[in-house]
Amino acid sequence: MSTSIQLRKVVKRFEALEVIKGVDLDIEPGKFTVFVGPSGCGKSTLLRMIAGLESITGGDLHIGGQKMNDVAAAKRGIAMVFQSYALYPHMTVYKNLAFGLETAGVRRDEIDRRVREAAETLRITEYLPRRPKALSGGQRQRVAIGRSIVRDPNIFLFDEPLSNLDAELRVQMRVEISKLHERLGNTMIYVTHDQVEAMTMADTIVVLRGGEVMQVGSPLELYNRPANRFVAGFIGSPKMNFLEAARVATDAIDVAGQAIQLEPYQLGRCPAETPITFGIRPEHIVLGGEVGQALGEARVDLVEHLGGSTSVYATMPSGASLTVLAPGQLSIRHGETVPLRFDAANCHAFGPDDQTLRN
Amino acid sequence: MSVSERSPAAAGNGESNALARSYREAFRRNAPGYLFLAPWLIGFFCLTLGPALGSLYLSLTDFDLLQTPNFVGLQNYVRMATADPKFVSAMRVTFLYVVLSMPLKLGFALAVAMMLNRGLKGLPIYRAVFYLPSLLGASVAIAVLWRQLFAADGMVNSMLAIIGIEGPSWISNPRYSLYTLVVLSVWQFGSPMIIFLAGLRQIPTDMYEAASLDGASASRQFWKITLPLLSPVIFFNFVIQTIEAFKAFTPAFIVSGGTGGPINSTLFYTLYLYQEAFGNFRMGYASALAWVLVIIIAIFTAFSFLSTRYWVHYDE
Amino acid sequence: MSNEAHALPGQASDHPYLRSAILHCLLIAASFVMLYPILWMLAGSLRPAEDLFGGGASLIPSQVTIRAYTQGWFGVQMSFGRFFLNSLLIATLATLGNVFAASLAAYAFARLNFVGRKFWFALMLGTLMLPYHVTLIPQYVLFQNLGWVNTWLPLIVPKYFAVDAFFIFLMVQFFRGIPRELDEAAQMDGCSPWRIYYKVMLPLSLPVLATAAIFSFIWTWEDFFGPLIYVSDMNLYTVQLGLRSFIDSSGTSSWNELFAMSVLSLIPIFLIFLFFQRLLIEGIATTGMKR
Repeated sequence: MSTSIQLRKVVKRFEALEVIKGVDLDIEPGKFTVFVGPSGCGKSTLLRMIAGLESITGGDLHIGGQKMNDVAAAKRGIAMVFQSYALYPHMTVYKNLAFGLETAGVRRDEIDRRVREAAETLRITEYLPRRPKALSGGQRQRVAIGRSIVRDPNIFLFDEPLSNLDAELRVQMRVEISKLHERLGNTMIYVTHDQVEAMTMADTIVVLRGGEVMQVGSPLELYNRPANRFVAGFIGSPKMNFLEAARVATDAIDVAGQAIQLEPYQLGRCPAETPITFGIRPEHIVLGGEVGQALGEARVDLVEHLGGSTSVYATMPSGASLTVLAPGQLSIRHGETVPLRFDAANCHAFGPDDQTLRN
Repeated sequence: MSVSERSPAAAGNGESNALARSYREAFRRNAPGYLFLAPWLIGFFCLTLGPALGSLYLSLTDFDLLQTPNFVGLQNYVRMATADPKFVSAMRVTFLYVVLSMPLKLGFALAVAMMLNRGLKGLPIYRAVFYLPSLLGASVAIAVLWRQLFAADGMVNSMLAIIGIEGPSWISNPRYSLYTLVVLSVWQFGSPMIIFLAGLRQIPTDMYEAASLDGASASRQFWKITLPLLSPVIFFNFVIQTIEAFKAFTPAFIVSGGTGGPINSTLFYTLYLYQEAFGNFRMGYASALAWVLVIIIAIFTAFSFLSTRYWVHYDE
Repeated sequence: MSNEAHALPGQASDHPYLRSAILHCLLIAASFVMLYPILWMLAGSLRPAEDLFGGGASLIPSQVTIRAYTQGWFGVQMSFGRFFLNSLLIATLATLGNVFAASLAAYAFARLNFVGRKFWFALMLGTLMLPYHVTLIPQYVLFQNLGWVNTWLPLIVPKYFAVDAFFIFLMVQFFRGIPRELDEAAQMDGCSPWRIYYKVMLPLSLPVLATAAIFSFIWTWEDFFGPLIYVSDMNLYTVQLGLRSFIDSSGTSSWNELFAMSVLSLIPIFLIFLFFQRLLIEGIATTGMKR
């Protein structure tokens, strides 16, 4: 039941505007893949090209080993859940689920069996005679998923399916979709702009920006070893801190006058004296103490008490601003100056081209 | 779905294959659109564009429906401009009709729309009552009614008699007959009124509230807020209603019994065109009349659009 | 409503009740003026013939009789029943054509992608402004050559080719408001454009289809020019032509019968208006077109 997808140099152009700039991607069968990126990065367009809702300007799309560039959407063995759910408002839930099967000319008793089975799975049986109008957001979401399940597709596509739900429901549906994937084991592609959704649901995350793939990897790979400054900043919350720096030795950099020792492999083959960017996640900075090495001092601008953790917004003497996420509850005040320390293993360095320097 | 029947090995005629493929692809992408559009396209070419070009040609001939048309150059247009007093009077009547009825009609429409836009109870009923004449107005029955209203012994004169005035026979007096049609047109202010109402509803009430707080009087609010913000709608109504007025036919035909009389006083342009085409069978000349009407409407529309930058206020 | 009525006139604007009372009075008076002619015609049609214009401007007949209706029904050689039936047939067929053809074209313009869409759309909008007089004569020649003059075909067939761009425009506006994701969902469900059109688009567009149908029906019903040109056999007359020949045959001598038939000719429009007022008004407000 699981199907692989390959994209080879896939390009999409709207008139002169190139929105997908030659994407190469292998999506493994049975995996839950998330396309994530800021709005306008092309993630939805890419998904719609796989679905067959957008034509492919250049390159090849293979699904299950077959070239699918010019195959009609309905014949690709794909089902899609839309952001607005796109339930047919003039049909009952039952009809909504049955419509695709009717179109395909499936026998009536077979349709009935499959609709009821899908409804059972998603616990929407009691809503079958209702119109979508009479359902809550979460119920509509389930119907939309149900509509894709009945067709028994090889691949499921989700286009920001949770963005219209409130926060609580979103978490709940997130879990349900993950469970659904576990049970069905189909290839699923999920588009979102929310990196938390990406981190929590994905087997593989594809980070996109400006129509190009920035990095592909598992959630922890992206977190631990971002390939470039963009991915480093996009994955993780609060955002990674970036400080201007320069390489002064094979194993040392200078961050606003503060010398910092790194492992040589962390700096790669970057020549000395080049301006680089030093990156460290807020949760990897320690306020005071003796661990690791010193990063300098910073003046506290704002403290947010979250209970389980404390966010500190501070400014370095160089003027660079910095966020620190410390575990537990701290009694730091606005205006105080605090020493910052960190462990070199947790830091990142990016070259002038914003690529990670690591060898 | 074996679209991928081409193997990379068959590169020999790959180019022509690719060409054929791109044609197929273009066909696949465009065919549904053109299929759905087909009825309109046929109609457009056979019933609109073709006939329009046909009448442009006929306007240069002496076509009379029976014999093959002879090409006469611009003779029809020259005759119109120099030797056709009926054309001149039709022009005069039509322009008078437009110039008199348009400001009154739009003025009433705007005034009533503003009265209705005050959150009054019973708005749907008033709106319906004022709209009804617009809906019925084009029918022969209403033209018949108008004939009787303004007849020598009609309703209007009966009313005037109550206050001791002996009214003329409005319909059969060339001095007044056109005005009865102007009244008929103004009576149908309902549809521009509905458009004004829709436009007025788009103006946010907090703008008026802010203006009141600033101490702006009602008339100042009208001139400084309502009119500028409504100007696109006013413009739209003005253009559409004027074009409709140029095309008016039925009332003049029924009220004058098809003659445009008395003494050509209700000889609307379209009525004259009808007489020439289907009364005198001067089809060539009638075609020329039709094209002059198009040109008049085009010039009017163009000037209206040009004028917008002096008085129409658009957002952005 | 009247507890504020003691306010001084100069302060009227400070008293919302008084102000709305004044407005209501004005509007009721205006409504009365607007409806008076129609009511007068109705009253006239119920007056006995001897009453002639003796009733003057009054709305109340001295005695009520429906003789004008029974006699007027056969006032010309042919019964008005025939004319009504003819008008009904023509208007129904024309309406079907308009709705069908216009919705096809509107669907293409609103939803399908094809080369030249913007170009054709601009041309379609252009025909909105074009006075029909410009196509009148060649169309007449065309229909004459087809042998269609003195039949209903010239009144009906063009509607099946969506010649009235107003309806296309009306529907395009509405179709654009339907979420595109519904089409895409249907596409994923395996629907062809045709199936999307009639299984998704049309059911969701019932309000605009009804609006178009109503306008189409009323305008065909009221159309005078078309039948005047194309129909000469009295068997084929529409109601509007029937009224016209009534005037010609009887002049003003049997004006109450003429009124009676006029009233009857307005009744279908009035009924439609009564039941579908909201659709008509929304149709005008959204496209802002025509009567």
